[in-house]
Amino acid sequence: MAATSTTTSGSGSQPYRPYRHLKTLTAHERAVSCVKFSNDGSRLASASLDKTLIIWSAETLSLLHRLTDHSEGISDLAWSSDSRYICSASDDRTVRIWDGTSGECVKTLRGHSHAVFCVNFNDQTNLIVSGSFDETIRVWEVKTGKCIHVMKGHTMPVTSAHFNRDGSLIVSGSHDGSCKIWESASGTLLMTLIDDKVPAVSFARFSPNGKFVLVATLNDTLKLWNYSQGRHVKIYTGHVNREYCITFTFSVTQGRRYIVGGSEDCCVYLWDVQQKNMVQKLEGHTDTVISVSCHPTENKIASAGLDNDRTVRIWVQDA
Amino acid sequence: MNTPIIDPLQGDFPEVIEEYLEHGCMKCIAFNRRGTLLAAGCNDGSCVVWDFETRGVAKELRDNECSSPITSVCWSKCGNRILVSAADKSLSLWDVLSGKRMTRIVLQQTSLQARLHPGSSMPSLCLACPLSCAPMIVDLNTGNTTSLKVSVSEISNGPNLPSRNKCSDGITSFTPTAACFSKYGSLVYVGNSKGEILVIDHQDGEVRAMVPISGGSVVKNIVFSRNGQYLLTNSNDRVIRIYENLLPLKEEVRALDDLNKNFNDLDGVEKLKAVGTKCLTLFREFQDSITKVHWKAPCFSGDGEWVVGGSASKGEHKIYIWDRAGHLVKILEGPKEALIDLAWHPVRPIVVSVSLNGIVYIWAKDYTENWSAFAPDFKELEENEEYVEREDEFDLIPETEKVKGSDVNEDEEVDIVTVEEDAAFSDSDMSQEELCFLPATPSRDVPEQDKCLESSSKLVDSTNTGSPLSEEAGPNGHMPNQASSPVEDDAGGARVKRKRKPSEKVLELQAEKIKKPSKPSKSSKPRGKSLVDQDNSNGFDGVELTDE
Repeated sequence: MAATSTTTSGSGSQPYRPYRHLKTLTAHERAVSCVKFSNDGSRLASASLDKTLIIWSAETLSLLHRLTDHSEGISDLAWSSDSRYICSASDDRTVRIWDGTSGECVKTLRGHSHAVFCVNFNDQTNLIVSGSFDETIRVWEVKTGKCIHVMKGHTMPVTSAHFNRDGSLIVSGSHDGSCKIWESASGTLLMTLIDDKVPAVSFARFSPNGKFVLVATLNDTLKLWNYSQGRHVKIYTGHVNREYCITFTFSVTQGRRYIVGGSEDCCVYLWDVQQKNMVQKLEGHTDTVISVSCHPTENKIASAGLDNDRTVRIWVQDA
Repeated sequence: MNTPIIDPLQGDFPEVIEEYLEHGCMKCIAFNRRGTLLAAGCNDGSCVVWDFETRGVAKELRDNECSSPITSVCWSKCGNRILVSAADKSLSLWDVLSGKRMTRIVLQQTSLQARLHPGSSMPSLCLACPLSCAPMIVDLNTGNTTSLKVSVSEISNGPNLPSRNKCSDGITSFTPTAACFSKYGSLVYVGNSKGEILVIDHQDGEVRAMVPISGGSVVKNIVFSRNGQYLLTNSNDRVIRIYENLLPLKEEVRALDDLNKNFNDLDGVEKLKAVGTKCLTLFREFQDSITKVHWKAPCFSGDGEWVVGGSASKGEHKIYIWDRAGHLVKILEGPKEALIDLAWHPVRPIVVSVSLNGIVYIWAKDYTENWSAFAPDFKELEENEEYVEREDEFDLIPETEKVKGSDVNEDEEVDIVTVEEDAAFSDSDMSQEELCFLPATPSRDVPEQDKCLESSSKLVDSTNTGSPLSEEAGPNGHMPNQASSPVEDDAGGARVKRKRKPSEKVLELQAEKIKKPSKPSKSSKPRGKSLVDQDNSNGFDGVELTDE
């Protein structure tokens, strides 16, 4: 698709209103690895290989804080559901919890023996799950910082870990090609969704209602699985994803249901969940778009680019 | 709760002690409606709220005025309030989120049990069962108490007005009388010392029905199941009886009125008994016919399928579990201390018991390895099956590959947003915001005292975030993988696709190291993974240092 901005009308009675580029935020000195809006929509956080995290105001897009305590690059970050805290996963093997308003580092969670790659809070904000290059998944108690469970089962680095809505399950993806679902209360393995050696599972997350799992594999494919039935129900393609662990997210604002994600061809892709067609491709980045985040209430998307790009770009829908 | 993929093979009741909680000397416990928080009343008058998921203390409700042992704890339906009764005759109502005490009422007598009205989200009424008095309804806002009748013989004795702010004179006995609210709180079921269950409308104090228990021995406990369909009584004759509730759950008083009309030809006690037969029928009886043990704190499981009762014998900690059909399915034995309280988790197969020395034991299912979890097409078989080969099993068919699920209907609608209501919490009259969990605030890391001053000044980021003294092992004794995993990141970097190129990074590290003042000892390592803050010099065992 060579057009700058291809639009195809998706589901819903209204025609699709395309997103356009609003602003480019340049403040990182190296590749930006992750970008996330807070749950209350007031702030945006970005993490980078330059070892810092930046908190921006989502409204004015001005820089609020720069958090510099990590001693190595940061691969992932997550907001707590009350938007008070941020947790970050770094190559210095630690997970840090920061105060989202003051930018202070409140806690450091140690235990992983290799770079921590992915991190997430549960909705109740009393647990953090982290996946690491040491092939384990750890569940931490937020209050004391204790590691409650160490879940072993993957045979290669864990690329993503996510809690479902009520915090009872954790889905994890790994370079060993498997996607596993664990019970968070006991740390036990409940089921293995995919078990092919190739391609590697680069990303996995639950749908907002916890019934489906969105799985990205390094063969340019994105699948939506119904895990209780053990089969996939939708396949999304068109993007390029062979090397990096690109994150994908659901956009469910204002009645529309889309999947938004980055790609190695420097574009942000939007797919309609039901029709599976690509509704728009946002161009502008100059390197792989590794992470995207949708604003919880407004139709705003933030995307992050790798080393050649180093920017966070904001896209909005025309009124 | 994602029951579809959790293996239902083994039966839904706990088997072994999974963990125990210790915080002072706890006496009584209660789960909140969803089972995410556990409140425990202690010997020193404070109440501890545990976050059941992390098994950590979420809040402590302590006030200076009350320092006598807590006799009972009760949550309000939406989890915002806790009612606590203590041995100094007081009742305290706490707001959970803020940890502040809202009301404190001192009664004439210590209540052994206090229950908040279950029908409303901001209850102002509660039911208190004092030590040697009739149970009373206490209005928490005004402090007024209304005693309930405990004997039907009072009715035929002419007008006997419910006494205000005064214990009714010892009617028949001084043994404590048990009472509980019905599911929506419009009726109170009282079990008296004559072995009768009285159904009382607490708004006007009228006894509406009476159900005599065979044997007529004193009723010690009376409790409803969560869905309000079954009633349990524990009597002095060492028998636990289950009754089925025949009244409709919502329009109880009206149904009673209708029944009353039907039996207009009867009078007094006879009428009450007749109405009573339409309210409750005996369903099952449980007893241990061999040891004839007294029961303590019997209750239902969350879904009403199981009945659990503790043995009241001192010196043993035994919990009996029956299914509702009457079969004894399990006896759980704990350490040799008497059991003083028992509770079943509202949704999960977990039982929590309190022992005499104040420790709370959590009983859960024994974890058995679920082999079918390891691959998508693994299935667990009950018994060995002979494998019969297909005719063409080993034929070479070049073009046909195993196509998995190609006939997936990709056009069906998927709903990723609608949340299914959990059947266990189907009470739809929940208008108020429910308190499901207490937000956790991470406790700040203690900035460490540097033993080696030299290193601290040369640290990369000398911010005082400090290194926490966080223990690695969780309460279950899970030891994290401390074995030095050969950090083959760079070597295996080719296989492992990361978000950035490994070699670049290493070069950078080297460059950095040359620029910065050297860290003690480890700076000669080529891959300085152990650059992590101050760990080098202070020898914290938390972080893997020896990854040569």
